[in-house]
Amino acid sequence: MSTTKTETAKGPKETDRLKKIDFKMISFTLAGKDYGINILKVKEIRKAGNFTKVPNTPIFVKGVDNLRGDIIPVIDLRIMFNLPAESKDSSNLENIVILRLDSLVLGVVVDSIEKVVGIASESIQPPHPIFGDINIQYISGVVENEGRLYIILDVDRIFGEPEAEVETVQKTTPPMAEAVTSDDAVPGDAVLPLDLQFVGETLAAFGQFHLSPLNREWVSERLVDWKKARQAKNLDFQVTQKDEAEDFLASFPSIHSSRVWTAESVAALAGFLTFTSQPVVVWNPGCGRGYESYSLALMFQTQFKGKDYKIWASDNDLLSISTAPSLVLEEDEVEAGWKEFTVESRSGLQFNSDLKARILFEFHDVNHLNPMPEVNLAVLRDVISFLKPSDQEKLVTELTDKVRTGGYLLLGTHERLEHPEWKFVGNETWSVYQKI
Amino acid sequence: MRVEYINPFVEAAYNVLTEVLATEVKRGNLFLKSATKPVMGVAAIVGLAGEVEGRVLFDMSKQTAVKIASVMNMEELTEIDDLVKATISELANMITAQAVTKLHELGFKFDLTPPALITGDNMEISDQEVEALIVPMESPYGNIEINVAVRERS
Repeated sequence: MSTTKTETAKGPKETDRLKKIDFKMISFTLAGKDYGINILKVKEIRKAGNFTKVPNTPIFVKGVDNLRGDIIPVIDLRIMFNLPAESKDSSNLENIVILRLDSLVLGVVVDSIEKVVGIASESIQPPHPIFGDINIQYISGVVENEGRLYIILDVDRIFGEPEAEVETVQKTTPPMAEAVTSDDAVPGDAVLPLDLQFVGETLAAFGQFHLSPLNREWVSERLVDWKKARQAKNLDFQVTQKDEAEDFLASFPSIHSSRVWTAESVAALAGFLTFTSQPVVVWNPGCGRGYESYSLALMFQTQFKGKDYKIWASDNDLLSISTAPSLVLEEDEVEAGWKEFTVESRSGLQFNSDLKARILFEFHDVNHLNPMPEVNLAVLRDVISFLKPSDQEKLVTELTDKVRTGGYLLLGTHERLEHPEWKFVGNETWSVYQKI
Repeated sequence: MRVEYINPFVEAAYNVLTEVLATEVKRGNLFLKSATKPVMGVAAIVGLAGEVEGRVLFDMSKQTAVKIASVMNMEELTEIDDLVKATISELANMITAQAVTKLHELGFKFDLTPPALITGDNMEISDQEVEALIVPMESPYGNIEINVAVRERS
């Protein structure tokens, strides 16, 4: 603090205010004036230059830039706001603030980026009409901090598309739209929505399996078969016990659940995937004893030779995950093609250390915070269906956020996702979705 | 938290507590926690840095702290004074150091910061973006919770 005098004079009031720092912004300068942008809108800051100019764009569009594989537009705020821009020769890098808005990521060029300023949101004052340089509707407020006056820009207003309202309406519809389950949608008209609901409730109670749009199709079809089989035995079709729930769910697990995948399957899955950037980050929550994670590593070793990859595997079952790093395999579990990736150890056949070094096993609950970098491939086979419906939605939202555009999500064989940002690119067996 | 890290902490806590208290200690069930957690009254924090980032927190009630310090110093202590504080800090240091030594042997390298001791009533701890592994230890002098929150630097 520079002026001790004013500080002591303001005394208690100042400390009261200091306590309530609930708004942080990145501060930067444009033509010598201080500006701020809400830090929650800022993805990162960086220096870059030599943007690729795009023809026939407004003068304030500097061009496009390659942000680690993502192509983002770059806009010069100074030109946009008619401020004098110091011209830099092409060898000099520009300071760029990268913003993450609802629908797009873009970079804005500014004069210099200063620091992060924490303030109390109540100290933000509304813009005054005399701030002439920038159209007042683009300013969300003005705030004073350590003797400097910052103009806080409303980036959503500036860069939001004109049809933003239509967008938000679409966004507010639930991410996993309830599949239509009118009676005629169900084959054979044998399953009533009420039956489905009852079975759903008992499966949740006995099998920790939660009926949701993700698995509704499979449960409906299974219920038809189940009903037939039970009626043939003169039994009520309701699921009333734990072993019945297990029986009902016996055919739910995905192909190669809890075992090493075959070379044929690995090749089939690889056929749906293309990775352009490196390293490929794979996220595999709910990996159990690790069969799935090792199989994925085998896929990268054989189908994506030379690609750098890292698999983050986790499970909340301590017993399973503890055995994963040194998973012991039965002789007959491993087909001939995988032999070169295994090694004989004291406790039995294991995968070799090259393969192990690629996978990081963590004791972790996926419902907690997931501090993951951007993911290229998320593998959650038969995981989401076993979470509570509210957690399911939360996780799908998080996946949509964590997986980069063009990246993939692999769900269980019997799980299907209805979501505007995910496109189905798999087949019957491999429920592969690509983020669009 | 990476699976390989769990055992060294559990073993170190068990070994050190059995040795310094010269009595039987029992380990409770491990679990994960990500939300804000209350702290019992005396908390020693040791920071970890290097390949990982995080901290280990040793949490116990004031009575437990006084009793453990009494046993370790072989004299009757009655309140949280400088000696008790120094003793609990040292206990935290011993356990973390032994865990880190075990981890070094496994090929994971990280450093410790000096322990910090915090005492007070109605305290809570929250970790931004790291979930904590809770290792509950039961001893005749009271319960100690070892709360380990570490993550890989990505």
